[in-house]
Amino acid sequence: MVDRVTSVACVWVEAFAAAAAERAEPRLREQPMAVVVGVAPTTRIVDANAAAREHGVRSGIAEAEAVARCPHLVRRPASTACVDAAHRALLDACYGVSPRLEDVVPGLVHVDVAGLGRLVGDATAAADRLHRAARSIGLPARVGVAGTRAAARIAARAGLGVVASGGEAEALASVSVNAVEWPDQISEALSRWGVATLGELAALPRAGLAARLGPAGLTAHDLACGVDDPTPWRSWTLPPFWEEAQELDWEIHELGPLMGVLGRVVERLMARLCAAYLVADALELRVALAGGGHHARTLALACPMDAARPVLTLLEHELGARPPQGAVTAVAVQASAIPRGAVSARLGHTAPPAERDLATVLAHLVTLVGPDAVGAVALADSHRPDAFVAARLDPEAVSATSDVPLDPVLALRRLRPPRRVRVVVDGDQRPSMVSGALAPDARVLGCAGPWRVSGEWWDAGVWGRDEWDVALSDGAVCRLARDLRSGEWYLDGVYD
Amino acid sequence: MLACLREITSRGATAALVDADGAFDPASAVRAGVALSRLLWVRCGGRRAVALAAIDLLARCPGFALVVLDAGETPPGVTLGAAFRLRQAARRAGVAVLLVGRRRVAGAGATLAVRIRRDALAWAGARRAPTRLAGMSTRVRIVRRQGGSCEWSTPAEAPGERQWWTA
Repeated sequence: MVDRVTSVACVWVEAFAAAAAERAEPRLREQPMAVVVGVAPTTRIVDANAAAREHGVRSGIAEAEAVARCPHLVRRPASTACVDAAHRALLDACYGVSPRLEDVVPGLVHVDVAGLGRLVGDATAAADRLHRAARSIGLPARVGVAGTRAAARIAARAGLGVVASGGEAEALASVSVNAVEWPDQISEALSRWGVATLGELAALPRAGLAARLGPAGLTAHDLACGVDDPTPWRSWTLPPFWEEAQELDWEIHELGPLMGVLGRVVERLMARLCAAYLVADALELRVALAGGGHHARTLALACPMDAARPVLTLLEHELGARPPQGAVTAVAVQASAIPRGAVSARLGHTAPPAERDLATVLAHLVTLVGPDAVGAVALADSHRPDAFVAARLDPEAVSATSDVPLDPVLALRRLRPPRRVRVVVDGDQRPSMVSGALAPDARVLGCAGPWRVSGEWWDAGVWGRDEWDVALSDGAVCRLARDLRSGEWYLDGVYD
Repeated sequence: MLACLREITSRGATAALVDADGAFDPASAVRAGVALSRLLWVRCGGRRAVALAAIDLLARCPGFALVVLDAGETPPGVTLGAAFRLRQAARRAGVAVLLVGRRRVAGAGATLAVRIRRDALAWAGARRAPTRLAGMSTRVRIVRRQGGSCEWSTPAEAPGERQWWTA
């Protein structure tokens, strides 16, 4: 069911990557600046600030072209950290105005401003509050308010400000179609048809648009009318703060009493994580000391967990090895929480090893036996005996259980490499005596074969052999193979 | 061993095989229904000590439903203390450990010990000149079962004894 939002503000920061760079380096606002990505000479412009855009620097053009258009252009490499910080700061700023937000993309936030009348004022006051909040964190935002998200977005981009609820179509009618980022197919069609404003687009018959442009045409028509798509409102909430703390009435000098206090703190924290279906990946312990100082330790857990006892043991070891330099007056434990991922979503499916555990074990095994001797395998696409290739261990792979046979099959224990043996054959050219297999000499009590296999006759790797299953007098049941090219006999394996 | 691996991997769980001699045949395993993508194969090149170290590592890794040590023709010597430590580690991690060898490896440290003995062979094709080994019947006898009695002394009427044909 779609959440009904009656008054929506859209906070939009144009050229967000450039705005984030300016926020980190404010002096860049005074000069043409562009954010670039890629390796020279193929670097391209990601975003440019207003001064650079005045010189014709646009997103997507090559850096060389941008410099040609604006010789004094300052370039900065794209920084994910910078953009992430600005993104989070914008959300925090909007959260200060209304607790109901929708994080659309970095630099575009929908804010539900319905019901803020007594707290903030009317829609104009709310827009003004949002604008000031964004400016206070160093981001030049444009704000549009309307009854729908689509209309609010266009109002923000076109600088319309507040659009009366219910009058979206009329308010947007004069806006140029260039104020909206259309898919290529739509923008080409609008250009071809000579449609210049959203009002002209809204006046086109829906059936005709659907016939010519398909679903994209209907979406464009809705947008021109200021009608929202049926996507539900996805509220953004502040990331929770997983910390438990305890102040002490008296100072603690020894580890034993301190662990008692820490035990209660950790149990509370782990109970919160359990309730939220999370596990702790790392812990930060902060201890306030009587002299005003602090003692802080970070514990990276070998395995994400939500059990208090092992965490307490780790903390005890840590504090025992590096005790606080003074009496303790307060403790706080903060957890870095991650979703509990060990439990499979499939009913009855055993949880596979956690990635961290598996990586650790594989690293140890590689040290023990070498990288080529550890891993999963798959059968090679060949009839050559013992042909297999390395494959990725995939605990989540879904097997075709319908192909699983119900009866046991003969299992061969292979000798790698196959052992060369001497075989005496009888008058029917069937093996009668084998020397050099498991025992020095063994009579053949029963044998089956030959089973001729060959392959790759079209290539240099041609091979061919006759296979025999033999039961020997020493009790072994083996597979022998006679190489058709060399005539040599080999012990291929032993049946288990 | 393949039956256990098939049972585990066909249920969607992950298994590991420590192969002391590198004798595992993937083709036989696929015919038996083992999902190779969920089987970690560790080849130890005949080094018994390395195989023991590997099984010790894997038995402590939660998430593996079954860890198999195929000790081959000459199983390594495992002290009783080491066997009990391995059992405790596997129990804590929730891992089942299966040791396969020509003779008993874990002794009293095993929760269940089973002896499998070949009984008869069946050949396919003409009677005088069969073309393929068709099957093998084996007898399974429970040698030790924790909490139960040892049935070694009563082979004929042992209640845990059963026989199957492989084909």
